Amino acid sequence: MEIVQVLALGILMGGVYALLASGVTLIFGVLDVVNVAQGSFLVFSALFTWQIWDLFGIEPLLLIPVMALVMGAMGWLIYRGMVVRVTPQGPGMTVLLMFGVALALEGLLNLIFGNKYKSVTPAYFTESLNIGDLVLPLPQLISGVVGALVLVAIYLYLRFSWAGRALRASAQNPDGAALVGISSLKSSALAFAIGAMTAGVGGVLLAIMYPIYPATQYDWIARLLGIVVLGGFGSIPGAVIGAMILGVSEALAAAYVPEWSALFFYGVILLILLFRPNGLMGQRTREDVAA
Amino acid sequence: MSALKRPSILVPLIALVLFILVPIAVPDSQYEQSVILWCFLFAIMASGWNLISGLAGYVSLGHSVYLGIGMYTGGILAKAWGVDSIYLMPLGAIVAGLVALVIGAVVLRTRSHSFVIITIAVLLSFLLLAANLKWLTGGSDGLIVKQPSWAKELGNTPYYYVLLGLLVLTIALCAFVMRSRLGAGLVAIRNDEGKAASIGINTTVYKVTAYTLSALPFGAAGAVWGQYLGFVNPIGAFAILASVYLVLAALMGGRGTLWGPVIGGFLVALFQEFSTRWSGGVSSRVLIMGVILILVVMFMPSGLLPTIKKAVERRRTRGSAVKFIDQASIAASTSVVDTSAIAARDQGKAHQGDTILEVRNLVKTFGGVTAVDNVSMTVQRGTITGLIGPNGSGKTTLFNCMTGTYQPTSGEVLLSGEDITRAKIWTRAHDGLGRTFQITRLFKSMTVLDNLVAPLERTSAAEMVAGRYAGDEVDRAREILAFMGLQEFEKQNAAALSFGQQKLVELAQVLMLRPSIILLDEPASGINPTLIDKLATVIRRLNEAGTTVLIVEHNIPLVLSLCDHIHVLAEGKILTQGTPTEIRNDPNVIEAYLGPDHLLEAPHA
Repeated sequence: MEIVQVLALGILMGGVYALLASGVTLIFGVLDVVNVAQGSFLVFSALFTWQIWDLFGIEPLLLIPVMALVMGAMGWLIYRGMVVRVTPQGPGMTVLLMFGVALALEGLLNLIFGNKYKSVTPAYFTESLNIGDLVLPLPQLISGVVGALVLVAIYLYLRFSWAGRALRASAQNPDGAALVGISSLKSSALAFAIGAMTAGVGGVLLAIMYPIYPATQYDWIARLLGIVVLGGFGSIPGAVIGAMILGVSEALAAAYVPEWSALFFYGVILLILLFRPNGLMGQRTREDVAA
Repeated sequence: MSALKRPSILVPLIALVLFILVPIAVPDSQYEQSVILWCFLFAIMASGWNLISGLAGYVSLGHSVYLGIGMYTGGILAKAWGVDSIYLMPLGAIVAGLVALVIGAVVLRTRSHSFVIITIAVLLSFLLLAANLKWLTGGSDGLIVKQPSWAKELGNTPYYYVLLGLLVLTIALCAFVMRSRLGAGLVAIRNDEGKAASIGINTTVYKVTAYTLSALPFGAAGAVWGQYLGFVNPIGAFAILASVYLVLAALMGGRGTLWGPVIGGFLVALFQEFSTRWSGGVSSRVLIMGVILILVVMFMPSGLLPTIKKAVERRRTRGSAVKFIDQASIAASTSVVDTSAIAARDQGKAHQGDTILEVRNLVKTFGGVTAVDNVSMTVQRGTITGLIGPNGSGKTTLFNCMTGTYQPTSGEVLLSGEDITRAKIWTRAHDGLGRTFQITRLFKSMTVLDNLVAPLERTSAAEMVAGRYAGDEVDRAREILAFMGLQEFEKQNAAALSFGQQKLVELAQVLMLRPSIILLDEPASGINPTLIDKLATVIRRLNEAGTTVLIVEHNIPLVLSLCDHIHVLAEGKILTQGTPTEIRNDPNVIEAYLGPDHLLEAPHA
């Protein structure tokens, strides 16, 4: 029975990871930019959630749409202001740009909030849902479910809306998309905004689950990038699979070999990449014509 | 002593002398020395990083892992053996190099983005390993490194001179690599890895070598640094921030240059020191470094040195006229040269008639589409053979299976009787199979001459350490350029040439491999008729000099006039083959190109 408990917790955590990693993989798919600042976006959102909750005592979950909008706007601004100017210089430089953004945000948050742990503790913080022997802490349960729902909403939006189709078209062939009237600038800004939005939502979820402080962004960079590499860059299904593998393997390792939990995941990544350098769902592009 | 007058030699020499003098001339300078030490460390790390990330373009964001490995190697062994960690510098370098060799062999299988991320994952894995292997590393508390055995009054000065010496060694290593074939190969890999493989550069060996070399200075510096700090702990040894800062250093100074990372290392170390001292602690330091990184990436991406160099050059060349390049004179160049420069390697044993390239029952499917369907064909030695067929007939796929860009689903490819179906692309080049690309893939940041000396006929240590222009390669390159009528362009950047000229240069580049057979992928597409004539002449001359040629081409008149033998592909199968005359008169060929009703639609054709 214990194993079911562990797996359930792992899958719930996987839902949150999947949402956040989808944001990273979406930005990559459309723009070829590895957003290493996603962790700092996430912490940014979480700390502001804490601030508002601390000041006004508002139910944190109500802040989800607010933080989504705030982070979406920030993502849009960062794209239009910085990323778009650096993209012509290739992926190596945009990674470094985003690292600069991550450091600047971390330093800023440090100055505002100090280097201390902050926790959001609403009334249900310590409660759990019991199904038979299964004990699901409410914060984890809510986060996993909300994360999955938002992810499904984004997926449906990309799949069926005109803007979503335009975005996928730009991802596959920016020049072709431009020829049929899709502004790759607009699609890219939209993708970046959606990617940052997932961090806005994720930040609220994170705030009700764990204590946070600015430097925790590094843990998140590592996890999210690990998931994306594992699943294959640019593939949302890949990100979901990678996220579930991480969620479950972390939960398993935490239950049975606590000291080695993170290392276990990196080991899995290295092993998989040894056999599939492009990740689980990644595709190899035709090289001869991509001059 | 004219070399001494060159600023690139004189300035570093003066700087070196000044640095040697600091501890002697300024007696009470322990603080200043500690700041300069910090500068040395960053200059060493940024220069080391430059070998893999600046030259080969594989950006590592976790390279300080090798500093940490050096620190732990020094710390652990110093404790076990009771010696100063600083004497274990060579061991630190060796251990870091070995770890890099193993890790490099795995992570260098991935390309750009994945590589960046895996380097971070490697760093974090070592952080966790160090925290968890308590019996070896002392866990998260870390371990105390033995105090130095020299007199206390000496203070930091021994560290100062050791790191200065290490910096000089590191710069020497970088200079050596940049001047060698290895360095040229790495730059080629940065420009276009697939193309580099096609001209015989063993990209795996090159990348792993560069990655391993880049770890050596880190490991050596680590053994010194651990003792300097007095203790080693996981968070200090495997800090991701150090990795980012050293990348910032190399970027700021100028990636891929010799002195850029050194200058950048000093600047970044000084920025860190001053922002910590004058703006109140670590938080604002992270903010300031982040902002600097953003500014450098956005406004000075190529770095200080290249930016200054460009500005100086622009000033120098201002007003001087750009030379007019006369297309017609290239086309008309008589190209009377000794044919030994263009002779195939096995000309002596070449006898007309035997098979040089053979494809047996080759099948290649993409998902549900069978692009090449059980094709068998041969190319006879000494011929010019054509491969034609309508769009979508599978020509390019077949071509790619021969050159190794694709692995066939089943079937075999044989070169001079040897099975090369699964051979690496560079092995094919070494074995005498050269290829050009439909859309040229020259190394655009390199000059025409550098493009020509880049190809390698073998992979060997001697070849890698040889100077870029050593041996008779440069002479041969010039002869081949003269043969093509391109000698004027030797010093031009490849990107400055027209598409047609680039095609000729690419062919010249392949000739440097002395191929027994050259596969030309649509050589005439996209170039003007004058250059097409020139190309035809070149191909004929090559063939006379003993080289077998296989052409995939849409320009049917060119193929018919050039080739001895032609294979026609349609719908993934060999439709027919024969001499140009036979092909010209074969109704099946006309039907394949124009469809079955062409006679009704074009009665007077």
